[in-house]
Amino acid sequence: MRGLFVGLLFVAAVATWLLLAGPDRVLGIDAGNLGVAVLMTVSWGSLVVVSRLPGQGIETAVSPGEWRAWIAFAFTAVIAAYAVTHAGAFRGPPLWQNPDAQRVGRTIALMVIAWGIVSAVLHQRWRDRVQQDERDREIEARAGVWARIALSVAAIALAVLLGFTPGDRLAWAPPPMIAHLIVLALIASSLVETGYTALAYWRDRH
Amino acid sequence: MGGTSIRNAIRRLRFERGEMTQQALADACGVTRQTVIALEAGRYAPSLELAFRLAHALGVRVEDVFQWNAGE
Repeated sequence: MRGLFVGLLFVAAVATWLLLAGPDRVLGIDAGNLGVAVLMTVSWGSLVVVSRLPGQGIETAVSPGEWRAWIAFAFTAVIAAYAVTHAGAFRGPPLWQNPDAQRVGRTIALMVIAWGIVSAVLHQRWRDRVQQDERDREIEARAGVWARIALSVAAIALAVLLGFTPGDRLAWAPPPMIAHLIVLALIASSLVETGYTALAYWRDRH
Repeated sequence: MGGTSIRNAIRRLRFERGEMTQQALADACGVTRQTVIALEAGRYAPSLELAFRLAHALGVRVEDVFQWNAGE
């Protein structure tokens, strides 16, 4: 079982490399799409392995809410890293004339869809268990407060950056880049929310 | 996570009721087992409704399950 986990970790590392630092195309296939497909396979494989652990394994030790939180955090972290490392694609022309930016957008959308599929499968798998109770809702509410704070800080930082920087020093930020920065602020807010949620569950257990 | 100023006797009451499992109590109250664990460890203060549900499932009054330590 340990070998299987190491194997899954290795494949996850390859998927992350494909997404963040790999070539644009591998064997004629878009590396972003390939990375998302491999990442989704690893997520699914990890869940299958965890569910087959003997006895009262980690699947029952951890609540559905905590599983959802860690999975959300992992997907959000990969999306954030991908969006940051590929921000350069948005320095170009408007999005409808910029195939590189379109590819980045497509890959991010695919990751969100993959996350949705994994969540839906888990929801179906745990349909006989209580999936959310008042403690989950309380943790979500607290995480939501931190997410709003993070979004406010990011929005203010962006406003100050764009409002107080002379125009000639903003050549790196054409409108598509500003649009991408706004999306990055949303991703950062989501990262804070999912990270806080996962940590709150973890602290509750320790 | 810090503890709460509400103490409870859930663990003792479970054992006095035929070693009722955490999962059985959780199912009876409509919460996850991890919430029962957090309650027993004093890391989570339940809502009034959940407190009544727990007391009902354990067959006692709310004040037999929960005590408030005003000094904390």
